Formats: sequence, structure tokens, C-alpha cells
Amino acid sequence: MIELVLQAIFSGILVGSVYALVALGLAIAFGTMRIINLAHGELVLLAAYTAYFVETNTGLNPYAAIPLALVLVGGLSAVLFLMINRIREHRELNSLILTFAVGIIITNAILLAFASDVRTTTSPLLQDAVSIGPLFAMNGEVVAFAVSLLLMGGLWWWLKGSWYGQAVRAVSSNRDAARLMGINPVRTEYVAFIAAGVLASVAGVALYTMSVVQPSIGHAFTVKAFIVTVLAGVGSIPGVFLGAILLGVTEALTVTLASSALQELAGMALFLLVLFFLPTGLFGARARRG
Amino acid sequence: MSSHVPSVSRPSSWPSSIVFVGIALVLAALPLAAGAGNYFLGLLISALILAGISLAWALLGNLGGMVSFGHAAFFGVGSYASALLSAKLGLPVLLSVPLAGVIAVGASLLMIPALRLSGPYFALAILAYSQIFRILATELSWLTGGAAGFQAIPQLPTVLGLDLASRSGSYVLLVVVVALCALVYALVRRSLVGTALRAIADSEDATRVVGVNSMLLKAWMLALSAFITGVFGALNAHIIGFLEPDYAFSGVWSVLPIIAAIFGGYRTTFGPIGGAVIIYLFDQVVAKSIIAVGHQILLGFLLAAMILLAPNGLLGLAERFLKGRRDAEA
Repeated sequence: MIELVLQAIFSGILVGSVYALVALGLAIAFGTMRIINLAHGELVLLAAYTAYFVETNTGLNPYAAIPLALVLVGGLSAVLFLMINRIREHRELNSLILTFAVGIIITNAILLAFASDVRTTTSPLLQDAVSIGPLFAMNGEVVAFAVSLLLMGGLWWWLKGSWYGQAVRAVSSNRDAARLMGINPVRTEYVAFIAAGVLASVAGVALYTMSVVQPSIGHAFTVKAFIVTVLAGVGSIPGVFLGAILLGVTEALTVTLASSALQELAGMALFLLVLFFLPTGLFGARARRG
Repeated sequence: MSSHVPSVSRPSSWPSSIVFVGIALVLAALPLAAGAGNYFLGLLISALILAGISLAWALLGNLGGMVSFGHAAFFGVGSYASALLSAKLGLPVLLSVPLAGVIAVGASLLMIPALRLSGPYFALAILAYSQIFRILATELSWLTGGAAGFQAIPQLPTVLGLDLASRSGSYVLLVVVVALCALVYALVRRSLVGTALRAIADSEDATRVVGVNSMLLKAWMLALSAFITGVFGALNAHIIGFLEPDYAFSGVWSVLPIIAAIFGGYRTTFGPIGGAVIIYLFDQVVAKSIIAVGHQILLGFLLAAMILLAPNGLLGLAERFLKGRRDAEA
């Protein structure tokens, strides 16, 4: 029993790291533009299917699909920003519905192109098991974990060190003050959306190598990312990472101790509990009440 | 375009609404007068069920200022409640349908804590609720029959010589119920409550300061929206005669009403109804024949185009057009 629980916690941490990438993409766009991109999960899914496409057509390792995914998903994310930026009236509500519509389009486009079958990597290298002490994992999971940590480190460095990273943080914390300091908030939002697209690209490819994908699960990624940002408060990268790991571990423990049918329920219950009882998130952050 | 100047004035004048009511009644009577076949009536019945949910969604969105991605929860709860009450407890269907609405209101009471949340947080909290209800309906198989489904749901009865279970009978019933809901919606909008709700949409803090209990009003709108959606879920269950959790709580019941209401114009009374009929017929007749699997992609494009080009919907466009002509004449 103890081994099963430990194994579940271990698997939860590995998948949680990729949830963190998905959530950071959602959070960085939300931070600057105050808009929840409901198509974010579908962008992740598109990257996962790009990996599937490249793997089946070229026989290369799925990670070789990252450049193509960056172009496709990053480009689409940029287009999405340009569309949202056109909305003038009732921006919060209309942008929710617009991104929701784009999510429907992407989901159905994937369905049309790749059918509704469940897909996962066929690379034996990624599917091989590796044991770490008493715990087991797929190579794919370990690689995805490492890639996620690297990208999170990169994001942290970008936000701290680069001009645009600092602009993103400035616009997130105070749009008007940032404007007074000579930062163009709209261009910064644009950059943030492209950064979200980059995060979604890598997260999608990683998810394809460690788990299964099908066209209907895009919005589940958005919901998971949203749960994570609620758990973490939109504040910080380490907060989002911990929130994502918490979600991953909660899901994995639910599957091990109860049933896989309840996996989503556990995430949702966690989400509602935090929303109602810890409104600033587990690690404290800005208020989200109207 | 400023949003609050027109929103404080009365939404639309009586004469134009009477014209709309007249047109709507003629349109509603047309299929029966033309002797439409059962297939077409069946499509219209489904379209009217969608119209009812769209109206309920628009009521919450327009008056309450809340976007819901979880109306499937009320729809599913209403379906199962009425099916169980009539099949297991033997209640008459005409009693179990409104009771199902009441039970859907009960489900909405669980969501009241979510009303404190703003914008996207509310939208996703209510989505979480609808997922929870779907999972519960699957897991509580001793009550609902679980994933295997729930069969032998009693049919609608015969009232005053009209067999409501027949296609034309169901159609007439749904036209009447949709019209009643539209009337309730219009009355709420014109009442003091409607004025207060529009004020909340403009500035919740300012409205609170002058002594309006905004939480209570929003809770009332959520409850009314849940009641209407539950009733249509119940009617649908008795018409279809079969339920399973993945159908009754399907995301479709959350998604299509949004598309329909936005397309028709969710800030008007007739927009969601007209939008639902057009969207449903378009999806089932046109889109499905072009693209068998994945036909919702066309709805996605339509929805995105509406938000970008005509965020107030078809009726919003029509109103602007009429107003423009009136201004030009004056």
C-alpha cells in the first residue's frame, strides 16, 4: 500500500511539472491582459498533435516537432491576441466567449485532421521504464519533467533579466504606471501571448510523450491550468509549480486510492475548496473577487 | 460605443416588442399550418429546447452579468429529477416537470458561493460544478442507472384532447413554455429588479452603496435561470424517453446555448430564441451534411465572427439598422 501511494505521488509530481507549464502560459497571458484564454488547452493539444504528426510521418523523436509546434502554436497564439485586441465592448465577457469559440475551432480541426482516436508516442526510447529506487517511471515522463524544469528556469530568467520580461511583469503589476515608464502595454501583451504560445508548444509535445491525447481533452487542460493558477494565486513561478504538483499528486492519488472515474472530480473539488476557503490561493496572491 | 447609456434606459419600447411577438407567433404556427412532417417537427422541438436553455443562459448573462459554462448541470439535474420522480415515485409528468425545475434551483443553491467570484472565476467554477454533477450521476448508479442509462421514462400525457407525446403536441407545448419563459424574462427585465441588475452590471460597488443587495439579486437570477433550464431538461427527458449521464450532462447543453444566445443577441428577449432555432437547424441540416464529424467547427467560426463583427448579435444588428433609419428620417 505504501509503495502504491509513494508511486502515485511520484507520478503525480512528474505530470504536475507539465501542468505547471500549461498553467504558466495561461497565467502570463492573464497577468498582462486580465483575460482568461479559454483556448489555451487547445493550443497545448495542437502542439501535442503536431508531435504526433511529425513522429508518424518522419519517424523522428517527438521532441523534434518542437520547432514546428513553436511556429504553429506561437503563430496561432499571436493571431488570437490580435483578435482579442479588436474587442472593444464588454471586453472581459466577449474575450471569454471569443477564446472559447477558438477552442471549439481547434478541437474540431484536430478531430477532422486526425480522427477521434487516442494517440501516444510509439518511440520505444520514451516508453521504456526506468526505476529510481523502488519507484518506476517511463523515460518519457522523466524527460518531460526535466524539460519542464528547464523551461521554467528559462522563463524565470526571461522575466527577471530581459527587457520584455520586465515589461511583462511591470504591465502585470500596474498597467498605468508601466505606461508612464515608457512601456507600450499592448505590445507587451502581444509578447506575453507569444510567450504563452511557446509554453503551450513545449507542454503539448511533453504531454504527448508521457501520456495519451485525443481531440476532446483540450478544454480539460484549460481547466487544469485554471485550477493550478487558483491554487497558486497568479503570483509566482514557484507557486504555480507547487500548485501544479499538488494537482498532479491529488489526481494520481485519487486514481490509486479510489477510481480513475473520480480523477477529474478530485481536481474540481480541490479547485472549489480553494476558491471558497482560501480565496487568495494556497500561497497568497491578489484578490479575485468582483 | 458606450455601454451604459443605452443600458440604463428601457431596453426596448412596447410597440416594437408587440411586433416581435406577432412575428414570433406567426412563425411558430407556420410549421403546423404547413403540415410539416415528423422529422422537421422533431428538429424544431430540439431547437425549442435549446431556445429555452439559451433564454435562461442569456437571462443570467444579460441581467446577472455572469457567463456560465455550466448550464449542462441544471439541464442534467432537471432531466434526471423529472425522470426519477415520474418513473420511480409515480408522480404525474405535469407535476414532475416543474418539480424538476425546483430541484435544479436546489442545485443552483450549491453554487451561491460562486456568485462572489468575478468573470472568469465564476465561469470556470460553474463549469467545475457541472462536471461534478455529471460524475455524480454516473457514480450514483443505484439511483440513476449509471453509465448504462435510464430507460422507460414516462411520456408526456394527453391534456384537453391534445396528445403532448405526439410530435405536434410536443411542439405546441414547447412553443407555449418558451413563450412563457420569454414573458417572465421580459417582465423581470422591466421590473425594478431589472433596473437594479443593469446598475450592478455598470458598477457593482456603487449599486451596493445605495443599498441594493447585489448578491441576493444575482442569486435570484441564478435560481430563475436554473429553474428554466431544469424544466427544459425535464421536458426533453420525457420527449426522448432515455437518459444517460454523458448525454444529460453533455457539454453541448452548455456550449450550444452560448452560441445561440450570442448569435441571436443575448441582450434581447427574442435574440436567444431566434438564435437557437437558426443555429440548431444550421448545425443539424447544413453543417452536418457538409462535415459529418467535426461539424461544430462551423459553429466555432460563426461564434468567433459574431463576437468580432457583431457582438450584440443579429437582433442587435437589426436594432442598429432600424435606429439608424429612424435617425435619418428625423
